[in-house]
Amino acid sequence: MEGSLSVLGAGLAFGIGAIGPAIGIGMIGAKTIESMARQPEMAGKLQATMFIALGMTEAIALLGFVLAFVLMGA
Amino acid sequence: MENMGHMVEELLHELSVLPLFSEHIGTFTLTNYTFFLLIALALTIVFFLVSTRRLSLVPKGLGNVVEAGVSFVRDGLCVDILGSENGRKYFPFIGTIFFFVLFNNLLGLIPGSLPGTGTIGVTVTWGIVVFLVYNGIGIKKNGPLTYIKSFVPSGTPLLLMPLIFLLEIVSHFLRPITLGIRLYANMYAGHIMLGIFTILVTISLEHLSPGSAVTGVLAFVMRVIMHGFEVFVAVLQAYIFSILTTVYINGALHASEH
Repeated sequence: MEGSLSVLGAGLAFGIGAIGPAIGIGMIGAKTIESMARQPEMAGKLQATMFIALGMTEAIALLGFVLAFVLMGA
Repeated sequence: MENMGHMVEELLHELSVLPLFSEHIGTFTLTNYTFFLLIALALTIVFFLVSTRRLSLVPKGLGNVVEAGVSFVRDGLCVDILGSENGRKYFPFIGTIFFFVLFNNLLGLIPGSLPGTGTIGVTVTWGIVVFLVYNGIGIKKNGPLTYIKSFVPSGTPLLLMPLIFLLEIVSHFLRPITLGIRLYANMYAGHIMLGIFTILVTISLEHLSPGSAVTGVLAFVMRVIMHGFEVFVAVLQAYIFSILTTVYINGALHASEH
């Protein structure tokens, strides 16, 4: 019983923890496309900045992923 | 289906850090991950030695690949963010990180091998190296006092200063950890995903029926697509690791300006 609860907790930790970053990554992509359409000559710079923001947002989701494994081991 | 839980457990066991030999020298043991880390190191060195052996103005064969990669990192990354002078100065460090991470990530995608970047120990160690380097650059460039002062933006109310200072310190110390976890988790999660699709294909092959044939084919197609996606992720993560290193170095260089 205890083991299955920790698996449930691990699933919830990753699932709920991925909601925020998912919205964030969607917004980053949407806004980058919007800005590229507005100023195509800035596309290269915008893309580089997008990847920086993407990396930082993604890390939050991955913290939940690591936590899920920690919980599964517990 | 009870078979699947067993197979997933086996997959996780295979992806965990296991010693290759029972003997060890002091505290050093050759694990499956360090083994592939050393292979990637050797590959990186051999690749660059072979491809730059005969340098010419118009490169041939492998030289083209190296030139494209190097100019991508130097001009697209270092010079773009750090400026022409500093970009060329710090390119050897950033370029080394980029190509070593890239070779490790790509090596892990060959079936049967593991990415050296797939363990948290390796990646957080590189994060700590980056942390030491960019703080060292900041202290050397601005002097220790100005560098520490730069953690608090000018114009902060006196009452808020300790709080802002503490927040900045925490965010600086979190940088090597997030840098490492991002790379490790991407590689580890990618390999688990590929493994699970492979397990789905094997299970549907074992209990052959019209229904399982459909899932099997779908899982196989997804497995192939995901492998292509993982190649993209491998390059992207090397890029993100090195671009964040560049951004941190840039922040340390211009610490006295904000």
